[in-house]
Amino acid sequence: MTEPPEVSEEEFRRTCDFLYRRSGMLFTEGKRYYVQRRIAERMAALKIAAFTTYFAFLRSDADGEIEKFINAFTVNETYFYREEHQLRCLSSDLLNERVGSKRPGQALRIWSVPCSTGEEPYSIGMWLLENWPDVDAQDIEILGSDIDTECVNAARRGEFGLRALMRLTPDLVAKYFVPSGKERWRIVDDLRQSVQFTKVNLIDSAETRRHGVFDVIFCRNVLIYFDDTSRRLAAENLFECLAPGGFICLGHTESMSRISPLFEVRRFADAIVYQRPQGGARD
Amino acid sequence: MPLVRRPSLPSESPAAPAGSITEGTSEQRWAAARAAAAQPDGVALLAKALSQERDPLVLEAIFTGLAAAATAESAAAVVPFIRSEEARLRAGALDALRAMPEASRPHIGSLLADPDADVRLLSCELVRGLPEAEANRLLIDLLDGETDKNVVAAAVEVLAEIGRPEALPVLVLCSQRFVGEPFLAFSIKVATDRIGDP
Repeated sequence: MTEPPEVSEEEFRRTCDFLYRRSGMLFTEGKRYYVQRRIAERMAALKIAAFTTYFAFLRSDADGEIEKFINAFTVNETYFYREEHQLRCLSSDLLNERVGSKRPGQALRIWSVPCSTGEEPYSIGMWLLENWPDVDAQDIEILGSDIDTECVNAARRGEFGLRALMRLTPDLVAKYFVPSGKERWRIVDDLRQSVQFTKVNLIDSAETRRHGVFDVIFCRNVLIYFDDTSRRLAAENLFECLAPGGFICLGHTESMSRISPLFEVRRFADAIVYQRPQGGARD
Repeated sequence: MPLVRRPSLPSESPAAPAGSITEGTSEQRWAAARAAAAQPDGVALLAKALSQERDPLVLEAIFTGLAAAATAESAAAVVPFIRSEEARLRAGALDALRAMPEASRPHIGSLLADPDADVRLLSCELVRGLPEAEANRLLIDLLDGETDKNVVAAAVEVLAEIGRPEALPVLVLCSQRFVGEPFLAFSIKVATDRIGDP
Protein backbone atom coordinates (compact mmCIF):
# COMPACT_ATOMS: atom_id res chain seq x y z
CA MET A 1 0.00 0.00 0.00
CA THR A 2 1.28 3.47 -0.89
CA GLU A 3 2.00 5.57 2.15
CA PRO A 4 0.24 8.95 2.24
CA PRO A 5 2.67 11.75 1.39
CA GLU A 6 3.74 14.35 3.88
CA VAL A 7 1.22 17.13 3.34
CA SER A 8 1.34 20.25 5.47
CA GLU A 9 -1.82 21.83 6.84
CA GLU A 10 -1.52 24.61 4.28
CA GLU A 11 -1.03 22.15 1.43
CA PHE A 12 -4.01 20.14 2.61
CA ARG A 13 -6.21 23.24 2.66
CA ARG A 14 -4.94 24.28 -0.73
CA THR A 15 -5.72 20.86 -2.18
CA CYS A 16 -9.19 20.93 -0.67
CA ASP A 17 -9.80 24.41 -2.08
CA PHE A 18 -8.67 23.23 -5.47
CA LEU A 19 -10.91 20.18 -5.35
CA TYR A 20 -13.89 22.21 -4.21
CA ARG A 21 -13.46 24.76 -6.98
CA ARG A 22 -13.20 22.10 -9.64
CA SER A 23 -15.77 19.60 -8.42
CA GLY A 24 -17.89 21.11 -5.68
CA MET A 25 -16.71 18.34 -3.36
CA LEU A 26 -15.87 19.67 0.03
CA PHE A 27 -13.39 17.89 2.28
CA THR A 28 -12.50 19.15 5.71
CA GLU A 29 -9.88 18.24 8.28
CA GLY A 30 -11.82 15.14 9.31
CA LYS A 31 -11.23 13.68 5.84
CA ARG A 32 -7.55 14.47 5.82
CA TYR A 33 -6.39 10.88 5.71
CA TYR A 34 -8.82 10.09 2.90
CA VAL A 35 -7.60 13.05 0.89
CA GLN A 36 -3.96 12.16 1.51
CA ARG A 37 -4.60 8.59 0.39
CA ARG A 38 -6.04 9.79 -2.91
CA ILE A 39 -3.07 12.13 -3.40
CA ALA A 40 -0.71 9.24 -2.66
CA GLU A 41 -2.42 7.07 -5.26
CA ARG A 42 -2.06 9.70 -7.94
CA MET A 43 1.56 10.46 -7.02
CA ALA A 44 2.39 6.76 -7.14
CA ALA A 45 0.69 6.38 -10.51
CA LEU A 46 2.75 9.25 -11.87
CA LYS A 47 5.93 8.26 -10.02
CA ILE A 48 6.12 11.72 -8.46
CA ALA A 49 7.83 11.81 -5.09
CA ALA A 50 7.14 15.33 -3.78
CA PHE A 51 3.70 16.78 -3.12
CA THR A 52 4.75 20.20 -4.41
CA THR A 53 5.77 18.66 -7.71
CA TYR A 54 2.48 16.81 -7.93
CA PHE A 55 0.39 19.86 -7.09
CA ALA A 56 2.10 21.89 -9.82
CA PHE A 57 1.40 19.01 -12.24
CA LEU A 58 -2.21 18.93 -11.12
CA ARG A 59 -2.74 22.67 -11.48
CA SER A 60 -1.31 22.66 -14.98
CA ASP A 61 -3.77 19.86 -15.85
CA ALA A 62 -0.94 18.03 -17.59
CA ASP A 63 -2.18 14.85 -19.25
CA GLY A 64 -5.72 15.55 -18.00
CA GLU A 65 -4.64 15.17 -14.39
CA ILE A 66 -7.46 17.26 -12.94
CA GLU A 67 -10.04 14.77 -14.15
CA LYS A 68 -7.98 11.84 -12.91
CA PHE A 69 -7.52 13.50 -9.54
CA ILE A 70 -11.24 14.14 -9.20
CA ASN A 71 -11.97 10.59 -10.33
CA ALA A 72 -9.79 9.32 -7.53
CA PHE A 73 -12.28 10.87 -5.13
CA THR A 74 -15.42 9.87 -6.94
CA VAL A 75 -14.86 6.46 -8.44
CA ASN A 76 -16.80 4.44 -5.95
CA GLU A 77 -17.65 0.84 -6.06
CA THR A 78 -21.37 0.43 -6.26
CA TYR A 79 -23.24 -1.78 -3.88
CA PHE A 80 -26.74 -2.48 -2.72
CA TYR A 81 -28.35 -0.08 -0.25
CA ARG A 82 -25.66 2.52 -0.84
CA GLU A 83 -26.61 5.86 0.76
CA GLU A 84 -29.42 4.14 2.57
CA HIS A 85 -30.57 7.42 4.09
CA GLN A 86 -31.88 8.48 0.68
CA LEU A 87 -33.81 5.25 0.36
CA ARG A 88 -35.32 5.94 3.79
CA CYS A 89 -36.24 9.41 2.58
CA LEU A 90 -37.86 7.89 -0.51
CA SER A 91 -40.16 5.64 1.50
CA SER A 92 -40.72 8.03 4.41
CA ASP A 93 -41.37 11.25 2.54
CA LEU A 94 -40.87 11.52 -1.19
CA LEU A 95 -43.29 8.90 -2.47
CA ASN A 96 -45.97 9.79 0.05
CA GLU A 97 -45.83 13.37 -1.21
CA ARG A 98 -45.90 12.28 -4.84
CA VAL A 99 -48.83 9.88 -4.38
CA GLY A 100 -51.07 12.85 -3.66
CA SER A 101 -50.45 14.28 -7.11
CA LYS A 102 -51.21 11.11 -9.08
CA ARG A 103 -54.41 10.28 -10.88
CA PRO A 104 -56.02 6.96 -9.90
CA GLY A 105 -54.07 4.16 -11.57
CA GLN A 106 -51.26 6.46 -12.68
CA ALA A 107 -47.90 4.88 -11.90
CA LEU A 108 -45.22 6.39 -9.76
CA ARG A 109 -42.08 6.52 -11.87
CA ILE A 110 -38.56 6.32 -10.44
CA TRP A 111 -35.41 6.73 -12.51
CA SER A 112 -31.95 5.62 -11.51
CA VAL A 113 -29.48 7.39 -13.78
CA PRO A 114 -26.71 6.47 -14.12
CA CYS A 115 -27.53 3.00 -12.88
CA SER A 116 -24.11 1.41 -13.43
CA THR A 117 -24.62 -2.37 -13.25
CA GLY A 118 -28.03 -2.16 -11.61
CA GLU A 119 -27.34 -2.12 -7.89
CA GLU A 120 -29.23 1.13 -7.35
CA PRO A 121 -32.49 0.43 -9.23
CA TYR A 122 -32.69 -3.07 -7.76
CA SER A 123 -32.00 -1.59 -4.32
CA ILE A 124 -34.88 0.82 -4.82
CA GLY A 125 -37.20 -2.05 -5.65
CA MET A 126 -36.06 -4.14 -2.70
CA TRP A 127 -36.23 -1.19 -0.34
CA LEU A 128 -39.78 -0.32 -1.32
CA LEU A 129 -40.91 -3.92 -1.05
CA GLU A 130 -39.48 -4.08 2.42
CA ASN A 131 -40.18 -0.62 3.75
CA TRP A 132 -42.99 1.25 2.01
CA PRO A 133 -46.43 0.37 3.41
CA ASP A 134 -48.17 1.55 0.22
CA VAL A 135 -46.13 -0.68 -2.02
CA ASP A 136 -49.00 -3.02 -2.84
CA ALA A 137 -51.46 -0.22 -3.43
CA GLN A 138 -49.46 1.66 -6.05
CA ASP A 139 -48.12 0.94 -9.49
CA ILE A 140 -44.43 1.71 -9.44
CA GLU A 141 -42.15 1.85 -12.44
CA ILE A 142 -38.44 1.63 -11.85
CA LEU A 143 -36.09 2.42 -14.70
CA GLY A 144 -32.32 2.24 -14.69
CA SER A 145 -30.28 3.97 -17.38
CA ASP A 146 -26.61 4.38 -18.11
CA ILE A 147 -24.49 5.70 -20.95
CA ASP A 148 -22.39 2.53 -20.84
CA THR A 149 -24.20 -0.21 -22.72
CA GLU A 150 -22.02 -2.90 -21.11
CA CYS A 151 -23.28 -1.69 -17.74
CA VAL A 152 -26.85 -1.77 -19.01
CA ASN A 153 -26.44 -5.35 -20.22
CA ALA A 154 -24.86 -6.40 -16.93
CA ALA A 155 -27.71 -4.72 -15.07
CA ARG A 156 -30.23 -6.69 -17.10
CA ARG A 157 -28.43 -9.93 -16.21
CA GLY A 158 -28.65 -8.94 -12.56
CA GLU A 159 -25.67 -10.96 -11.34
CA PHE A 160 -23.53 -9.65 -8.53
CA GLY A 161 -20.48 -10.57 -6.50
CA LEU A 162 -20.03 -10.66 -2.79
CA ARG A 163 -18.86 -7.07 -2.38
CA ALA A 164 -21.99 -5.65 -3.98
CA LEU A 165 -24.08 -7.45 -1.37
CA MET A 166 -22.01 -6.41 1.64
CA ARG A 167 -24.67 -4.08 3.09
CA LEU A 168 -27.52 -6.56 2.81
CA THR A 169 -28.63 -8.84 5.62
CA PRO A 170 -28.59 -12.60 4.95
CA ASP A 171 -32.38 -12.50 5.04
CA LEU A 172 -32.52 -9.98 2.21
CA VAL A 173 -29.99 -11.92 0.18
CA ALA A 174 -31.99 -15.11 0.64
CA LYS A 175 -35.20 -13.36 -0.33
CA TYR A 176 -34.08 -11.44 -3.39
CA PHE A 177 -31.16 -13.43 -4.81
CA VAL A 178 -30.41 -16.93 -5.98
CA PRO A 179 -26.91 -18.41 -6.05
CA SER A 180 -25.32 -18.18 -9.47
CA GLY A 181 -21.87 -19.74 -9.31
CA LYS A 182 -18.99 -19.25 -6.93
CA GLU A 183 -19.62 -16.19 -4.79
CA ARG A 184 -22.12 -14.91 -7.36
CA TRP A 185 -25.77 -14.19 -6.82
CA ARG A 186 -28.52 -13.33 -9.23
CA ILE A 187 -31.53 -11.14 -8.57
CA VAL A 188 -34.71 -13.22 -8.45
CA ASP A 189 -36.62 -13.18 -11.71
CA ASP A 190 -39.66 -11.35 -10.36
CA LEU A 191 -37.62 -8.37 -9.29
CA ARG A 192 -35.26 -8.53 -12.26
CA GLN A 193 -38.20 -8.41 -14.65
CA SER A 194 -39.72 -5.50 -12.79
CA VAL A 195 -36.91 -3.10 -13.54
CA GLN A 196 -36.25 -1.90 -17.05
CA PHE A 197 -32.85 -0.76 -18.28
CA THR A 198 -32.00 1.61 -21.10
CA LYS A 199 -29.03 3.47 -22.46
CA VAL A 200 -29.06 7.24 -22.03
CA ASN A 201 -26.70 10.16 -22.41
CA LEU A 202 -27.69 12.71 -19.80
CA ILE A 203 -26.66 15.68 -21.87
CA ASP A 204 -28.66 14.59 -24.90
CA SER A 205 -32.09 16.12 -24.42
CA ALA A 206 -33.68 14.03 -27.17
CA GLU A 207 -32.55 10.86 -25.39
CA THR A 208 -33.58 11.95 -21.92
CA ARG A 209 -36.93 13.23 -23.15
CA ARG A 210 -37.76 9.83 -24.60
CA HIS A 211 -37.75 8.38 -21.10
CA GLY A 212 -40.77 10.41 -20.08
CA VAL A 213 -41.56 12.16 -16.83
CA PHE A 214 -40.57 10.86 -13.41
CA ASP A 215 -41.63 11.42 -9.84
CA VAL A 216 -38.21 10.74 -8.35
CA ILE A 217 -34.83 10.67 -10.05
CA PHE A 218 -31.70 9.27 -8.42
CA CYS A 219 -28.76 10.91 -10.15
CA ARG A 220 -25.83 10.28 -7.88
CA ASN A 221 -22.16 10.96 -8.41
CA VAL A 222 -22.22 11.72 -12.10
CA LEU A 223 -22.69 15.46 -12.50
CA ILE A 224 -19.34 16.01 -10.83
CA TYR A 225 -17.70 14.40 -13.84
CA PHE A 226 -19.12 16.99 -16.22
CA ASP A 227 -17.77 20.39 -17.14
CA ASP A 228 -19.88 23.45 -16.38
CA THR A 229 -21.77 23.48 -19.66
CA SER A 230 -22.54 19.76 -19.60
CA ARG A 231 -23.68 20.02 -15.99
CA ARG A 232 -26.09 22.79 -16.93
CA LEU A 233 -27.42 20.84 -19.88
CA ALA A 234 -27.84 17.71 -17.76
CA ALA A 235 -29.59 19.68 -15.02
CA GLU A 236 -32.04 21.11 -17.56
CA ASN A 237 -32.66 17.69 -19.04
CA LEU A 238 -33.32 16.26 -15.60
CA PHE A 239 -35.60 19.20 -14.81
CA GLU A 240 -37.56 18.45 -17.96
CA CYS A 241 -37.83 14.78 -16.98
CA LEU A 242 -39.27 15.58 -13.58
CA ALA A 243 -42.96 16.07 -12.99
CA PRO A 244 -43.73 19.41 -11.34
CA GLY A 245 -43.16 18.69 -7.65
CA GLY A 246 -40.91 15.73 -8.49
CA PHE A 247 -37.68 15.10 -6.63
CA ILE A 248 -34.07 14.53 -7.57
CA CYS A 249 -31.55 12.88 -5.26
CA LEU A 250 -27.86 13.61 -5.83
CA GLY A 251 -24.78 12.07 -4.25
CA HIS A 252 -23.95 13.27 -0.77
CA THR A 253 -21.05 15.41 -1.98
CA GLU A 254 -23.04 17.06 -4.75
CA SER A 255 -25.15 20.19 -4.71
CA MET A 256 -27.64 21.12 -7.40
CA SER A 257 -27.59 24.67 -6.07
CA ARG A 258 -24.06 24.99 -7.44
CA ILE A 259 -25.19 23.81 -10.86
CA SER A 260 -28.58 25.31 -11.58
CA PRO A 261 -31.11 27.64 -9.98
CA LEU A 262 -34.00 25.63 -11.39
CA PHE A 263 -34.64 23.48 -8.34
CA GLU A 264 -35.77 24.07 -4.79
CA VAL A 265 -33.91 22.54 -1.89
CA ARG A 266 -36.03 20.30 0.34
CA ARG A 267 -34.74 19.17 3.69
CA PHE A 268 -36.24 15.96 5.04
CA ALA A 269 -35.32 14.04 8.15
CA ASP A 270 -33.16 11.59 6.25
CA ALA A 271 -31.84 13.54 3.28
CA ILE A 272 -31.57 16.81 1.45
CA VAL A 273 -33.09 16.51 -2.00
CA TYR A 274 -33.99 18.88 -4.83
CA GLN A 275 -37.45 19.47 -6.15
CA ARG A 276 -38.88 20.80 -9.37
CA PRO A 277 -41.18 23.62 -8.28
CA GLN A 278 -44.85 23.15 -8.99
CA GLY A 279 -45.12 26.29 -11.04
CA GLY A 280 -41.78 26.61 -12.80
CA ALA A 281 -38.33 27.65 -11.72
CA ARG A 282 -37.38 28.68 -8.23
CA ASP A 283 -37.82 32.42 -7.95
CA MET B 1 -43.89 -10.24 -6.19
CA PRO B 2 -46.80 -7.84 -5.91
CA LEU B 3 -45.44 -4.48 -6.47
CA VAL B 4 -43.24 -3.28 -9.17
CA ARG B 5 -44.58 -3.70 -12.63
CA ARG B 6 -42.35 -3.61 -15.64
CA PRO B 7 -42.34 -0.11 -16.98
CA SER B 8 -43.31 0.57 -20.51
CA LEU B 9 -41.44 3.01 -22.70
CA PRO B 10 -42.04 5.47 -24.10
CA SER B 11 -44.20 6.98 -21.42
CA GLU B 12 -45.69 10.42 -21.28
CA SER B 13 -43.27 12.99 -22.62
CA PRO B 14 -42.97 16.70 -22.21
CA ALA B 15 -44.35 18.73 -25.05
CA ALA B 16 -42.08 18.81 -28.07
CA PRO B 17 -40.18 22.06 -28.46
CA ALA B 18 -41.96 24.40 -30.80
CA GLY B 19 -42.90 27.99 -31.32
CA SER B 20 -41.17 31.29 -30.84
CA ILE B 21 -38.55 31.87 -28.23
CA THR B 22 -40.04 35.26 -27.43
CA GLU B 23 -43.73 34.40 -27.46
CA GLY B 24 -46.14 32.08 -25.67
CA THR B 25 -46.10 30.75 -22.13
CA SER B 26 -42.90 30.41 -20.14
CA GLU B 27 -42.98 26.64 -20.74
CA GLN B 28 -43.22 27.22 -24.48
CA ARG B 29 -40.41 29.79 -24.42
CA TRP B 30 -38.30 27.41 -22.31
CA ALA B 31 -38.83 24.63 -24.87
CA ALA B 32 -38.05 27.00 -27.73
CA ALA B 33 -34.91 28.25 -26.01
CA ARG B 34 -33.71 24.70 -25.45
CA ALA B 35 -34.38 23.83 -29.06
CA ALA B 36 -32.75 27.01 -30.40
CA ALA B 37 -29.22 25.83 -29.64
CA ALA B 38 -29.52 23.23 -32.38
CA GLN B 39 -30.70 25.71 -35.00
CA PRO B 40 -28.32 27.44 -37.43
CA ASP B 41 -29.38 30.88 -36.24
CA GLY B 42 -29.77 29.69 -32.65
CA VAL B 43 -27.25 32.05 -31.09
CA ALA B 44 -28.89 35.07 -32.70
CA LEU B 45 -32.30 33.89 -31.49
CA LEU B 46 -31.02 33.31 -27.98
CA ALA B 47 -29.20 36.65 -27.91
CA LYS B 48 -32.37 38.47 -28.96
CA ALA B 49 -34.42 36.61 -26.38
CA LEU B 50 -31.91 37.38 -23.64
CA SER B 51 -32.53 41.08 -24.04
CA GLN B 52 -36.28 40.63 -23.53
CA GLU B 53 -36.74 37.63 -21.26
CA ARG B 54 -37.30 37.97 -17.51
CA ASP B 55 -38.69 34.56 -16.56
CA PRO B 56 -35.97 32.78 -14.54
CA LEU B 57 -36.74 29.38 -16.04
CA VAL B 58 -36.43 30.62 -19.59
CA LEU B 59 -33.39 32.76 -18.78
CA GLU B 60 -31.59 29.71 -17.48
CA ALA B 61 -32.22 27.86 -20.72
CA ILE B 62 -31.08 30.86 -22.76
CA PHE B 63 -27.84 31.22 -20.81
CA THR B 64 -27.19 27.48 -21.09
CA GLY B 65 -27.81 27.56 -24.84
CA LEU B 66 -25.41 30.46 -25.30
CA ALA B 67 -22.80 28.80 -23.07
CA ALA B 68 -23.13 25.54 -24.98
CA ALA B 69 -22.65 27.37 -28.29
CA ALA B 70 -19.42 28.85 -26.87
CA THR B 71 -18.78 31.10 -29.85
CA ALA B 72 -17.47 34.64 -30.06
CA GLU B 73 -21.02 35.69 -30.91
CA SER B 74 -22.55 33.95 -27.91
CA ALA B 75 -19.96 35.36 -25.51
CA ALA B 76 -20.50 38.85 -26.92
CA ALA B 77 -24.23 38.45 -26.35
CA VAL B 78 -23.72 37.52 -22.70
CA VAL B 79 -21.02 40.04 -21.70
CA PRO B 80 -23.29 43.12 -21.41
CA PHE B 81 -25.43 41.32 -18.82
CA ILE B 82 -22.59 41.11 -16.35
CA ARG B 83 -23.34 44.84 -15.88
CA SER B 84 -27.04 44.24 -15.26
CA GLU B 85 -28.74 45.82 -12.28
CA GLU B 86 -30.55 42.51 -11.76
CA ALA B 87 -28.61 40.04 -9.66
CA ARG B 88 -30.15 37.08 -11.51
CA LEU B 89 -28.93 38.38 -14.86
CA ARG B 90 -25.48 39.23 -13.50
CA ALA B 91 -25.09 35.81 -11.95
CA GLY B 92 -26.47 34.09 -15.04
CA ALA B 93 -24.07 35.98 -17.28
CA LEU B 94 -21.11 35.20 -15.04
CA ASP B 95 -21.95 31.50 -14.93
CA ALA B 96 -22.44 31.37 -18.69
CA LEU B 97 -19.15 33.14 -19.38
CA ARG B 98 -17.36 30.86 -16.93
CA ALA B 99 -18.81 27.87 -18.77
CA MET B 100 -17.30 29.02 -22.10
CA PRO B 101 -13.77 30.02 -21.07
CA GLU B 102 -12.24 30.16 -24.54
CA ALA B 103 -15.04 32.29 -25.97
CA SER B 104 -14.98 34.58 -22.93
CA ARG B 105 -11.24 35.02 -22.94
CA PRO B 106 -11.04 38.00 -25.35
CA HIS B 107 -13.43 39.96 -23.11
CA ILE B 108 -11.74 39.45 -19.77
CA GLY B 109 -9.14 42.19 -20.13
CA SER B 110 -11.71 44.87 -20.84
CA LEU B 111 -14.03 43.58 -18.12
CA LEU B 112 -11.21 43.86 -15.59
CA ALA B 113 -10.72 47.46 -16.71
CA ASP B 114 -14.40 48.31 -16.53
CA PRO B 115 -15.24 51.54 -14.67
CA ASP B 116 -17.83 49.63 -12.62
CA ALA B 117 -16.16 47.99 -9.61
CA ASP B 118 -18.84 45.28 -9.47
CA VAL B 119 -17.96 44.24 -13.01
CA ARG B 120 -14.26 44.10 -12.15
CA LEU B 121 -15.04 42.07 -9.03
CA LEU B 122 -17.16 39.51 -10.88
CA SER B 123 -14.62 39.30 -13.67
CA CYS B 124 -11.95 38.11 -11.25
CA GLU B 125 -13.84 34.82 -11.18
CA LEU B 126 -13.42 34.50 -14.94
CA VAL B 127 -9.67 34.83 -14.55
CA ARG B 128 -9.58 31.74 -12.37
CA GLY B 129 -10.22 29.56 -15.42
CA LEU B 130 -7.40 31.00 -17.53
CA PRO B 131 -3.92 29.51 -17.88
CA GLU B 132 -1.86 30.50 -14.86
CA ALA B 133 0.61 32.78 -16.62
CA GLU B 134 -2.13 34.79 -18.30
CA ALA B 135 -4.24 34.86 -15.15
CA ASN B 136 -1.32 36.15 -13.10
CA ARG B 137 -0.54 38.84 -15.64
CA LEU B 138 -4.14 40.06 -15.72
CA LEU B 139 -4.50 40.10 -11.95
CA ILE B 140 -1.15 41.80 -11.44
CA ASP B 141 -2.22 44.53 -13.88
CA LEU B 142 -5.54 44.87 -12.08
CA LEU B 143 -4.08 45.01 -8.59
CA ASP B 144 -1.40 47.46 -9.62
CA GLY B 145 -3.91 50.31 -9.74
CA GLU B 146 -7.04 48.95 -8.09
CA THR B 147 -8.58 51.22 -5.48
CA ASP B 148 -11.69 49.24 -4.54
CA LYS B 149 -10.99 46.96 -1.60
CA ASN B 150 -13.64 44.43 -2.60
CA VAL B 151 -12.16 44.03 -6.05
CA VAL B 152 -8.74 43.60 -4.49
CA ALA B 153 -10.13 40.95 -2.15
CA ALA B 154 -11.65 39.06 -5.08
CA ALA B 155 -8.40 39.19 -7.05
CA VAL B 156 -6.32 38.14 -4.05
CA GLU B 157 -8.61 35.18 -3.45
CA VAL B 158 -7.96 33.99 -6.98
CA LEU B 159 -4.22 34.53 -6.58
CA ALA B 160 -4.32 32.43 -3.42
CA GLU B 161 -5.13 29.53 -5.68
CA ILE B 162 -3.26 30.20 -8.88
CA GLY B 163 -0.74 32.88 -7.91
CA ARG B 164 2.89 32.68 -8.97
CA PRO B 165 5.95 34.38 -7.49
CA GLU B 166 5.71 37.27 -9.96
CA ALA B 167 2.50 38.32 -8.18
CA LEU B 168 4.26 38.80 -4.83
CA PRO B 169 5.42 42.42 -5.42
CA VAL B 170 1.93 43.64 -6.27
CA LEU B 171 0.55 41.89 -3.20
CA VAL B 172 3.05 43.81 -1.10
CA LEU B 173 1.89 47.03 -2.78
CA CYS B 174 -1.73 46.17 -2.01
CA SER B 175 -0.97 45.48 1.64
CA GLN B 176 0.60 48.93 1.85
CA ARG B 177 -2.25 50.61 -0.03
CA PHE B 178 -4.92 49.05 2.20
CA VAL B 179 -3.05 49.12 5.47
CA GLY B 180 -6.21 49.91 7.44
CA GLU B 181 -8.14 46.87 6.17
CA PRO B 182 -7.45 43.88 8.43
CA PHE B 183 -9.43 41.50 6.25
CA LEU B 184 -7.35 42.36 3.22
CA ALA B 185 -4.16 42.06 5.25
CA PHE B 186 -5.22 38.54 6.21
CA SER B 187 -6.18 37.58 2.64
CA ILE B 188 -2.95 38.95 1.25
CA LYS B 189 -0.93 37.05 3.85
CA VAL B 190 -2.71 33.80 2.96
CA ALA B 191 -2.06 34.34 -0.74
CA THR B 192 1.55 35.37 -0.13
CA ASP B 193 2.20 32.33 2.08
CA ARG B 194 0.72 30.02 -0.50
CA ILE B 195 2.67 31.50 -3.38
CA GLY B 196 5.85 31.48 -1.33
CA ASP B 197 5.30 27.85 -0.36
CA PRO B 198 3.68 26.29 -3.43
